[in-house]
Amino acid sequence: MSSNIKYWKGEEELSRDPKFLAAQKNEFQENLPLDEVFNENGVELQANRRDFLKYFGFSVTAVALAACSKTPVRHAVPYLVKPEDVTPGVANYYRSTCGGCSSACGVEVKVREGRPIKIDGNPDSVISRGGTCAVGQASILSLYDNERLANPLVNGSENSDWAGIDSQISEKLKKVAASNGKIVILSDTIHSPSTLKAIESFKTAFPTVEHVMYDAVSYSGMLDANLADFGKRVLPTYRFDKAKVVVSFGADFLGTWISPVEFTKGYSIHRIPTVEGGMSKHIQFESNLSMTGTNADYRFPMRSSQELLYISSLYNAIAQATGGKQIPVAQQGELAGNAIKKTADALLAAKGTSIVVSGSNDINVQKIVNATNVLLGNYGTTVDLTNYSKQYQGNDTSASAVLSGLNNGSVKAVIFYNTNPVYNNNKDLWTNAIKKAEVSVSFASSKDETASVCQFVCPDSHYLESWGDSEPQAGVYHLTQPTIGHVFNTRQAQWSLLAWAGALPTVEKDPFAAKGIFSQKFKASPYYLFIRNNWSSALSSDEAFNAALEKGIAGNTSIAVSGPAAYAGDVTSLASAITATSKANGIDLVLYQATGVRDGKHGNNPWLHEMPDPVSKVTWDNYVSLPKSLAQKLGITEGTTVNVKAGDVVFNNVPAMIQPGQANNTIGLAVGYGRTHAGKVGGSIEKGYDTIGINAYNFVSNTTGNRSYVIHGVTVEKGDENYHLAQTQTHHSIEGRDIVKESTFEAWKKNPKAGNDKPKPHIYTIWEKAEYRKDGAPNHLWSMAIDLNACTGCGTCVVSCSIENNVPVVGRDEIRLRREMHWIRIDRYYSFNTKNEALTREKEIAKVDGSDNGEYAHWENVEVIHQPMMCQHCAAAPCETVCPVLATTHSSEGLNQMTYNRCIGTKYCGNNCPYKVRRFNWFRYNDNDNFDFHFNNPLGKMVINPDVTVRTRGVMEKCSFCVQRIQEGKLKAKREGKSPNEVEVKTACMKACPANAIVFGDLHNPNSEVSKLYKNERGFTVLDELNVQSSVMYMTKIRNNDNV
Amino acid sequence: MIHDSIIRDRLVTGDKTAADVTRDIARPILNKPSSAWKIGFSLSIVFLGIFVASLFYTLWTGIGVWNINKSVMWGWDITNFVFWVGIGHAGTLISAVLLLFRQKWRMSINRSAEAMTIFAVICAAMFPVFHMGRVWVGYWALPLPNAFGSLWVNFNSPLLWDVFAISTYFSVSLLFWYIGLIPDIATIRDKVKGKTEKAIYGFFSMGWTGSTRTWARYELVSLILAGLSTPLVLSVHTIVSTDFATSVIPGWHTTIFPPYFVAGAIFSGFGMVATLLVVARKVMNYENYITIGHLDAMTKIIMVTGSIVGIAYLTEFFIAWYSGVEYEQYAFTNRMFGPYWWAYWSMMTCNLIAPQVFWFRWARTTPWFIFIMSIVVNVGMWFERFVIIVTSLHRDYLPSSWVMYAGSLTEIGLFLGTFGIFFTCFFLFAKFLPVINMAEVKSILRNRE
Repeated sequence: MSSNIKYWKGEEELSRDPKFLAAQKNEFQENLPLDEVFNENGVELQANRRDFLKYFGFSVTAVALAACSKTPVRHAVPYLVKPEDVTPGVANYYRSTCGGCSSACGVEVKVREGRPIKIDGNPDSVISRGGTCAVGQASILSLYDNERLANPLVNGSENSDWAGIDSQISEKLKKVAASNGKIVILSDTIHSPSTLKAIESFKTAFPTVEHVMYDAVSYSGMLDANLADFGKRVLPTYRFDKAKVVVSFGADFLGTWISPVEFTKGYSIHRIPTVEGGMSKHIQFESNLSMTGTNADYRFPMRSSQELLYISSLYNAIAQATGGKQIPVAQQGELAGNAIKKTADALLAAKGTSIVVSGSNDINVQKIVNATNVLLGNYGTTVDLTNYSKQYQGNDTSASAVLSGLNNGSVKAVIFYNTNPVYNNNKDLWTNAIKKAEVSVSFASSKDETASVCQFVCPDSHYLESWGDSEPQAGVYHLTQPTIGHVFNTRQAQWSLLAWAGALPTVEKDPFAAKGIFSQKFKASPYYLFIRNNWSSALSSDEAFNAALEKGIAGNTSIAVSGPAAYAGDVTSLASAITATSKANGIDLVLYQATGVRDGKHGNNPWLHEMPDPVSKVTWDNYVSLPKSLAQKLGITEGTTVNVKAGDVVFNNVPAMIQPGQANNTIGLAVGYGRTHAGKVGGSIEKGYDTIGINAYNFVSNTTGNRSYVIHGVTVEKGDENYHLAQTQTHHSIEGRDIVKESTFEAWKKNPKAGNDKPKPHIYTIWEKAEYRKDGAPNHLWSMAIDLNACTGCGTCVVSCSIENNVPVVGRDEIRLRREMHWIRIDRYYSFNTKNEALTREKEIAKVDGSDNGEYAHWENVEVIHQPMMCQHCAAAPCETVCPVLATTHSSEGLNQMTYNRCIGTKYCGNNCPYKVRRFNWFRYNDNDNFDFHFNNPLGKMVINPDVTVRTRGVMEKCSFCVQRIQEGKLKAKREGKSPNEVEVKTACMKACPANAIVFGDLHNPNSEVSKLYKNERGFTVLDELNVQSSVMYMTKIRNNDNV
Repeated sequence: MIHDSIIRDRLVTGDKTAADVTRDIARPILNKPSSAWKIGFSLSIVFLGIFVASLFYTLWTGIGVWNINKSVMWGWDITNFVFWVGIGHAGTLISAVLLLFRQKWRMSINRSAEAMTIFAVICAAMFPVFHMGRVWVGYWALPLPNAFGSLWVNFNSPLLWDVFAISTYFSVSLLFWYIGLIPDIATIRDKVKGKTEKAIYGFFSMGWTGSTRTWARYELVSLILAGLSTPLVLSVHTIVSTDFATSVIPGWHTTIFPPYFVAGAIFSGFGMVATLLVVARKVMNYENYITIGHLDAMTKIIMVTGSIVGIAYLTEFFIAWYSGVEYEQYAFTNRMFGPYWWAYWSMMTCNLIAPQVFWFRWARTTPWFIFIMSIVVNVGMWFERFVIIVTSLHRDYLPSSWVMYAGSLTEIGLFLGTFGIFFTCFFLFAKFLPVINMAEVKSILRNRE
């Protein structure tokens, strides 16, 4: 039938018009209008002059107008040959090792279309156990820092010819070696077995080589004490997960001390009151209010210059009770409230399950700490010297020797590897010395302070571009693998060393090349071959090596059992040193590392500068923190400056901050700032960018051999200038509001609802519960639970969230205007303690101020609480009803969604948010020279998460509960044929948290972690009297102390 | 000659005849502009320039050039908006409500009051429009068909109610004003000499003949429009107040807002009318039309509404205390004694205390004093809006987000600039249209020989 159907084009065809039929035979049924253009005379325009001018004029104008509008050119280049393991839109994950600091946490790198875009912890790593810190999170941006060196430098000018440089350097080194001049490799702590082997090869080639390790923030005193007491110059591994009582003298072990992620992981386990064996007790003695101090159950302000006195008192108290040898000193140090005695009692009650640590770099202090831990029987349980830590091994004395060697000419060549002594020391101490060397080489990846005075700069690759291994703990090996090709013409330092030594493995030995796996173009790095050879015995087969690489670790994969340590120390001889401890009045300057910028290595990383300090909430600056008593004496208020003088080091007009909790007669100042050669973000004299803060390393003294970060007897006076610090939080007391709930461990044991037992507000509503919120509804109901007991306030989540969600960096001036863009923030409240009560209202505090003879004891004794705050995804969200255009709506899975495209920017939602978590795009933060951070250059933009929109100017944004991850999780479950209950979604904050404080999940899944936490007696929601029905449940903070 | 009432003063003094009225009132339109007008107009243009420059800077760079921040997301912008909308209230009140109540004294002031309303609403509209982060898609706030590229709007949002309330108010006011102008435009049409002028005035007089039938229809339309706009007097500021009242922010979440805002609006509107008329009657020699009696009546309204507003302030406090809600209590204590205490006490002084001087006859009948007081009233009302908006937002629920806010130069420029818009419009109005309703005033002359 169908074949009989005839279709006709027009009536002519139907009526079989002969003309039509004739024309049908031609290819073109009508004549083409060519005649108008071509005739016998060739080409002739059928337009007169006037017409021509008209058309011409119109065309030119049209073209000119069209050219005026700049159409953005976007390049989307498809893969011509799709790499086998890259699927556009699907992320690959590679295990590696973090190069942010020497702790060497195992990480998992998320790679999208060949770009690493996110770093999270490697759950198999015994160091990080899946956690990360802010520095680790942010270190990914250093990869895309367009101010890294693109090529090696020879005497300050770029030279892309590695081979030429190699021959120059090796020739010079040979000459030095031949003249028996010393060649020094000055590095930070290196615990990578392969790197150490490479250095050994280098030593073989040049016999006069000496390798000296040196850390800007030094643990030399502790290492020396361990050498004296145990015969090993190593740091112990601390098992905070086994400790019931933690006593810290100025060690910020949750924030910056040795291996903060590792310690936070262990520590947080025992902070949950329900943990088996009960909650741990944490006692902190310190001058500055550190992040660790804010988490302590008891915190006692102490002058750091007198630490030796107090710690020996503690030792003596313990020795007295345990029958140990006492130190014969006449005067015993004691702090207000019998702090030492109480601490000793607590420690004695937890023998073998306690830890005493000190952040001091004084060998005497560390010797007494060792002796105390020995008396308490902590070695072998909580303090492990069998599986000791290799994370810091620097030796200050050797470093000083290098300096004098350079000055007296005995050191003729110096190679700086991952170290920056020009910046880390008093002003010109190293600059002139380095200039005296015949050969000076730096491996710095950017032209930093030290590199600027070196002859050769051979930029090292970023760790995400590198092969490597590391041994953070004896027997624990982490592997590093590249996740991207070289962004710049850089080369791994080990490769350089091997090249100069002539010990590079040749490509002929490449096992993969033999199998034809790598084409000629993608040749394996010679250093990869070196590592591969190095691991040839432990991981002999390719399969074994690849399996280890996949896991990120080789060697120990579980926490090894500790053994006892042979103690050979004697502290009784320290009596004279203790007696000599200055009791004179005067002001101590206590230097510390800021949680974000740490030792200053990451000084050019905008995320770390923008991350608020966990305690002071200051961004983009370092500042002198003063106790209220001193501020009152000097007439210092918020926004003023001080002049600080220590010996001949003077800094004028340093921003001042009155810091609650700062011990009287001490001031604090962070190192890591004042970089003069960091770059656009961190400051560069060369390029004309302002430095950020001042370089506190100028105050570091190493007169006694080890670097000292406590300077006694500094002069402080009021500065002439005013300075407005950029803080993200400026009101610090909670005004007696019921926003955070807390109780004590004793009260909690009696009543698990302690602190949370206020009757719920009576709320009447005429509305029925939404269908999707009812129990048993078939949808997901995304919710979050945050344990305030676990949260340490470290700020890792803030950085992680910014990376995941493309949150722009806005800079100091915008933060001064209170316009930070962070989707998650950590609210920090102080309560000021007087004799019997906690003051949380500004007025009460002011009333007590000055009533105790200028001591301001209530300012010294503060209690701190951290509360992560992000969009609460209210079921009855005030923001949703007020938007005139429905740009913010509720999803049937309980999410408060923000539709950027729809937003017209009335900001009404932001006003009506009781939690003030909505953030507005006041400007266009990308491609804007006023915000010259990573969003303003093509390389920096590589870090952008392609799953999340970069918001335009004029729209509101806020936490989305990582909706892109939710979607990914749901799709994955669907693809794998799993039930919706098995959908596992981790938000960026949750995944990054080293304390496991944040739990996200589906409330409609009764077995989910979050469902369980919602039934916890400690659970409360913030501002529930407003009946906004928040989806974030907080767990009441329980403190293990006897405060009311 | 008709006998004067013994209990009422004459509404128009100086034994004016109907011809005098036309002559007096049409004089500025028919003559060349005076030097006072020229100076005033140039000054207004300068301020208009400030507005244009500030607005250009804002639109080019982003709303970030204002100092509003993560907690105080509305600052000077919405303060100015409510301020101007409030001022825009007197016009309709005078022309509509007083018309319905047969208050004949309104006749010599309603024209300028209505003009003021329209110009004030124009100024007010600048802020909700340009405070939008993406003003270029601002039309999405209109309930346009989806085919237009926008989607449907959220009828729950008070901001959307604002859109309707203000546009309705503006169109009705404009219509009312224009209808009232028609007979007078016709008079001008008949007086002007130039061809162009004649054509323009002729067009806008819509063929007015002055027949009895047209007059009858004119009266009827006026009455209908008065009836229509009377509820608007109440609705506009009620709806503006719901921007705040329906929110959850302590200091905003208050049921007293609608009546309190309306009273405040009338208060500030009359303040502005007084400011303008005290000057205009002097400069334009209209003392016989806008008499001391008018000023006396207006100041009485100022005093009454000021007191109503004052009672509302005190009631808010009582309720904050009585509610037992700590956030509410804090918000109000913070207004009085917090960092913005100066704004609060300026508001109290200017709005509650200062108008009480109008209990004294001298104060009500002394033009220069009324002028000063009218400025005080409007300063006070600006502060009222600032207090409500900024002090509530800067410290709400979570102390961690408490901030301070101070307007930037651009924000100040925009505010000053709206005075440029307002006065530019007003000067043009004074030059090209009769500022007093000639036709109506003629009906209240006593001198009708």
